[in-house]
Amino acid sequence: MSLVGARWKTWPSGVAAIAAATAVALILRPYLAPVNLAMIYLLAVVAVAARADRITAAITAFASVAAFDLFCVPPYGTFAVTDSEYLLTFVAMLAVALVINRQTDRIRRQRTETADREARAQTLYRLSEALANETRVFEVARAAAALASEALGAQVVIFLRDGASISFDRRTSDHLPVPRSEMTIAEWVFQHGRKAGLGVDDLLKATALYVPLRGTRAAVGVMAVVPQGTPLFDKGEREVLIDLMANHTALAIERTASQNTAERSRIQMETEQMRSSLLSAVSHDLLTPLASITGAASTIRRQGEKIPPATRDELLQSISDEADRLSRLVRNLLDMTRFETGEVELRREAYPLEEIVGLALRRLDALLKDRKITVKLPDSLPLVNGDEVLLGQVFVNLLENAVKYTPPATPIEITARETDSTIEVTVRDHGPGFAPGQQEHLFEKFYRGRAGNATGTGLGLAISKAVIEAHGGTIEAFNHPDTGAVFRFHLPAIRVGQPA
Amino acid sequence: MKPTILVIEDDPQIRRFLRATLIAEDYRLLEATTAEEGLREAAARLPDLILLDLGLPDKDGLDVLRTIREFSKSPIIILSARGQERDKISALDLGADDYVAKPFAIGELMARVRAALRRSTVLPADQSQTFGNIEVDLAKRIVKVAGEEVHLTPNEYRLLQVLLKNAGKVLTQRQLLNEVWGPNHTEQAQYLRVYVAQLRRKLEADPARPRHLLTEPGVGYRLITETPE
Repeated sequence: MSLVGARWKTWPSGVAAIAAATAVALILRPYLAPVNLAMIYLLAVVAVAARADRITAAITAFASVAAFDLFCVPPYGTFAVTDSEYLLTFVAMLAVALVINRQTDRIRRQRTETADREARAQTLYRLSEALANETRVFEVARAAAALASEALGAQVVIFLRDGASISFDRRTSDHLPVPRSEMTIAEWVFQHGRKAGLGVDDLLKATALYVPLRGTRAAVGVMAVVPQGTPLFDKGEREVLIDLMANHTALAIERTASQNTAERSRIQMETEQMRSSLLSAVSHDLLTPLASITGAASTIRRQGEKIPPATRDELLQSISDEADRLSRLVRNLLDMTRFETGEVELRREAYPLEEIVGLALRRLDALLKDRKITVKLPDSLPLVNGDEVLLGQVFVNLLENAVKYTPPATPIEITARETDSTIEVTVRDHGPGFAPGQQEHLFEKFYRGRAGNATGTGLGLAISKAVIEAHGGTIEAFNHPDTGAVFRFHLPAIRVGQPA
Repeated sequence: MKPTILVIEDDPQIRRFLRATLIAEDYRLLEATTAEEGLREAAARLPDLILLDLGLPDKDGLDVLRTIREFSKSPIIILSARGQERDKISALDLGADDYVAKPFAIGELMARVRAALRRSTVLPADQSQTFGNIEVDLAKRIVKVAGEEVHLTPNEYRLLQVLLKNAGKVLTQRQLLNEVWGPNHTEQAQYLRVYVAQLRRKLEADPARPRHLLTEPGVGYRLITETPE
């Protein structure tokens, strides 16, 4: 089809060239000898041969000799080639046409080859780039299939390994572009590591070409290519590209899978480590309030009426306070564990920041009663797109932290402003600020500001950081140029239509 | 005669301190340790209020709630453990009146009990109501803060009205959206939040530290009209 099309496109250029040459020759005929007029036709032949295909070039050579004979060799208007010298002219013209045509053809082919190679390199580069960003096997396969499909101008679907065989259900597209009956071909390809189907084995009458994805150790899947529309590359180039893509994809899938395994075992190890450090750190914190509770309760039971009412009240108060502390600790631990295990599910919705801050202030009512808390939130602030409960916890933790590390009755300020698509929140106290080197450890688990003064769990800031990062934000801590510590973090903003 | 309260709770320690307080406050007390027993008591003795633990051994607490609601309109207060936010919302949507999360202080629970009993006996009259420095004239639809009339949009007023009718009670976002905007808008929680924020700016002295229009995190809102003791 394409060859015929090319011929139909180029032959008018031959006709046009000869017509032009004839016109020039007719003008110059009174002044030049026929041999020199032949040179004009030669120019036309060269021009056509350099652009057109070989057949057009040959026809042009022949036609120009005919035109030359007709118009430039007397008697004009007749084919009376008596002189054998014009036979020589014809042979020379034909030879020139063919030689030039062949040369330009070669140059042209080289040029397309280079372009093809460049396109192939580009495609592979984009493939490896796309695959490098993916951390899940399935995402790698999906990205590869999408790219291959674009580059090959075909529908490409990748089937992944499921145990020892291939599964049509673990595929990269929702829609299955090949009949289920071809499962056996895919399975054969997977088991034997050889291509099959369309273009390889036409007896199978398959709708797709099945290419094995071979990793360095084992086959990881099968890529099915279903042709569609005009291909971007010619047949040979396409085959090379398919092979290269299959190879790249297989290696990327294998690498991702092994990375995931490594990651899993690393997490497992860290979890073990965390568990033991958690146990040692927490057992002390759990046992201290329990000791107070047991002590106070047993004192009241034993001494009964002998204890003066005021002392009795104190003991009861301490039971209640210590129980609160215990409950806070357990809650923090549960939160942290849920974060560590990825069990926390963000329930993101649009909330006014005011509401989230208000929630924290109310929960800490007792703790903050002799503090001046200034909340400055612009009315125009967009809504926060986040989890109300978890973000409320962040403010609770930061405020508790501020109260813990600053002198009584010093003020605390909460301010916010809109920055591009985020809300920047700062919580500032008026205490002594951070000691040098402290900031680096602030957000670590079980880190406490000052020894001896630490009544907390050492988890509050770690949880805050985890919550903010889960929202795609960042948190940082620094000393205010004047006085006090500042925590600054960013939360995702969202604008909803203002209701009437 | 003192109101009768049915406690459906399997944990003996919690039953013990509930018993101590409820008896000390002169309520008549019924106890059930399983869902089955609780349903039987609720049907046979028609208590004035039910305290229901969601984590019962023999049956899902939500199922118990649903069954009780088939025959009883008595206020039900849920006792829920932490991490049961969803159950809490479901319970409220299923007709529970309130909830307290464990661990809770007994004072808080008793305040909820009193509020729920009051709501169930006194029908809110269509008249003026005052809380804090806010005055709502339900007949004339006029709202005054510290004696000054404030203008509310129709939706803001509807919202305040619904909250006021259920004063002291938690209303889930779904319930509020349904009551104010109708059943087709129960998913548009962000509008509700914007309205609540607007209402707070108009009514509360410090909207970041509201004293009346309180948020119940992850659940909904509650309007407090009485000053805590």
